[in-house]
Amino acid sequence: MKRSRSLALGVAALALLATACTSSGSGGGDADATGGTIRIWTHVNKSFNKAYGELADAYMADNPGVTIDFETFDYDTYIQTLQTSLPAGTEADVLQMFGSWTCSYSTNLASVPGSVMSRSEAEKAYFPGPLGGYLCEDQLYGLPQESNIEYGATLVNTAMAGAAGVGLDGWDSFDDFKADAKKLTVTEDGVITRAGYHFTTNDGMAYTFLSLILQNGGSYLSDDGTFSFQTPEAQASMELMKSFVTDGIVDPTLFTDTTNWVGDCYFTELCAMGLVGPWVVPEYSADFPDVAADTVYVPLPTLENPSFAADSGWGLTVSSNSQEQDLAWDFVSYVAANDSNALQWNIDTGTLPALAANAKGSGAKELLSNAAYLEPFLGILGNAQYLGSLPDRDRLFYKIIVPNTLDVLTDQATVDEALAKMEQEANQL
Amino acid sequence: MTADTSVAPGTQRAARGIDAPQRRFRWSVLMPSVGYLLFFTLLPIVWVFALSLFSYSPRREGAGLGGLGGDNPFVGLDNFRLMFDFSGSSQLAETFRLSVVTTLIFAFIVLPLNLLITLPLAVMIESVARRLRPLLRTVFFMPVLASAVAVAVIWQYVLNPQYGLANALISKVTGHVTAIAWLNDPNITVLGVPVALGAVTVAYLWMDIGYNLVIFIAALQGIPRSLTEAADLDGANAWQRFWLVTLPLLRPTILLTAVLTMISSFQAFDLFQVMTVGGPDNQTRVLSLDIYENAFRFQSMGWAAAESLVLLLIVLLITLIQARLLRTKWSY
Repeated sequence: MKRSRSLALGVAALALLATACTSSGSGGGDADATGGTIRIWTHVNKSFNKAYGELADAYMADNPGVTIDFETFDYDTYIQTLQTSLPAGTEADVLQMFGSWTCSYSTNLASVPGSVMSRSEAEKAYFPGPLGGYLCEDQLYGLPQESNIEYGATLVNTAMAGAAGVGLDGWDSFDDFKADAKKLTVTEDGVITRAGYHFTTNDGMAYTFLSLILQNGGSYLSDDGTFSFQTPEAQASMELMKSFVTDGIVDPTLFTDTTNWVGDCYFTELCAMGLVGPWVVPEYSADFPDVAADTVYVPLPTLENPSFAADSGWGLTVSSNSQEQDLAWDFVSYVAANDSNALQWNIDTGTLPALAANAKGSGAKELLSNAAYLEPFLGILGNAQYLGSLPDRDRLFYKIIVPNTLDVLTDQATVDEALAKMEQEANQL
Repeated sequence: MTADTSVAPGTQRAARGIDAPQRRFRWSVLMPSVGYLLFFTLLPIVWVFALSLFSYSPRREGAGLGGLGGDNPFVGLDNFRLMFDFSGSSQLAETFRLSVVTTLIFAFIVLPLNLLITLPLAVMIESVARRLRPLLRTVFFMPVLASAVAVAVIWQYVLNPQYGLANALISKVTGHVTAIAWLNDPNITVLGVPVALGAVTVAYLWMDIGYNLVIFIAALQGIPRSLTEAADLDGANAWQRFWLVTLPLLRPTILLTAVLTMISSFQAFDLFQVMTVGGPDNQTRVLSLDIYENAFRFQSMGWAAAESLVLLLIVLLITLIQARLLRTKWSY
């Protein structure tokens, strides 16, 4: 009895100590309109960190009593840190968050105060694709900074296109697109040695499939969270994807995620066109300057509906445990809701804007003067539709959609069989 | 029994005086390693047992000790039931069963091939000129020293469909452009075994044979010359000497290498993770890879913990078989 009492006292002392450490660690204390300290957690990314740092310096210069401390973690560590610290309540005041993660953590996040931005104001200010990730059960839990786009436009090698007589004005239909892709394909002894259009990576297949369902006028996720893939729209989408293989434009066994990933494939000139987001261009430009100089993006053709599936983007949220919520929201708003600051962040990081105002007029001009290849995306950002609040996005993509799609593309299963399996597996998530 | 009752008090004090520092020394020496074992070995094992009884994901907040409970509910033995419910249609369970079968196929292909390569090779190396032996041993042992990831990358290049050495050689011989997707085409099989699994097996054997080779060489060097000389005197030829004298004497070594090879092939992970990531169409999804993906990619820690316990049981079973088979009643 005596021993258990001492143990209980010990635990209580430790808990008190932990609480003391936690509250002092949240940077709390003297929060008022003129001063205070906030901590910000972000993942390690040179250009992102630099852009945040510059905006924080400017904010501190405008608000002399404010101190902003950054703590960065490499990507994997950041995910684990969020997973463990949010339930424990030891997180920083401001947390960089990818949109599609936000709802998983919403119980520990503060919703955006009406004084900062109401939901209807946010819907007017931001594109629906990035904003969707920050909306959880009708509440807004953060402000997006970028539009993460993996579908909607394709990389095109202008030198190859010129040599094959392919124009760069875009395509009216998938038949036109496939005809040009076929012209760009090189086949020797029945083997595709240069793919006309490479979309058979994991993300490429998943985004194409979901986007084509939307463009065919269908949907894959109902309001009650049930997945439907046994629909005429899903069938038409899968058959269109399969036709790229049967028409000899791409071979899904030679051009995959592990062999000839689309960035490698395109920049080593084994693919003439490829489906991947614009972030790939700065990533490869230094090593392949000649190919980068011949690179443009061209919008993909659309079906009856121009929508396509997109996975939100990076943005900022505020912890519900923060002792400095007013200050934290003020800074988040300064970074992500102020047009010129948000634009500067997009320019510095090479990302597409989440704020609609920055995709047109002088904002767009400034953005394109730094990265002209982004131009085709600016016109289609409004068509990006958030993927939806998925129970497990990675498992849906990489364990369900991708393997079943590959089964169809490699003749391991019929379209009907694959869609039935996909629906059954998705509804087990 | 009145032992020691007459010992003088001073002597007892002296005995205690000697024992106490010794005890302290013993504890101070033992505690770091015992603490290390408790913290880094026993605790994780206990934690894995606990996790296997929960539907646990660190993505969910949970409740109670270590987040076990709440949104990470206690499911008892449901994870194990699901694994062996062959009438069910759970994707997780189907993938688990598939990965167990793939692991078994891999292990039972690797084992005979490994022994069929290493034993004759060891005999060959032992029969060449003495000066050449260290060179040959070094050459064959070198891949063992290489990192598995480096080996995987090398073989990825060799098997690359566009610019890989394997297809280049075939193209040269046939005179046609060849682009066999050794690691990605689910439709190519050899004797019912997917070619991707065969390709990883070749890379694994290349990396692994040096290990068994040195064990066999050591065993061959340990066989007394008098026994083979006696066989010579009896008129045995080289084949008879090997088959009737050397091979029976190598039996304990063969069993040892067989069991070690089997266990290590059950734990193979790196080559699969780098070369195929389980593809194509899950044809190279071994159990270790499935555990890793469920735990660290999809954050289904409870399920992954249950899978790792099944792997532990399989390896344990093989170890028990090893202990039984290795018993020999004779020595030389």
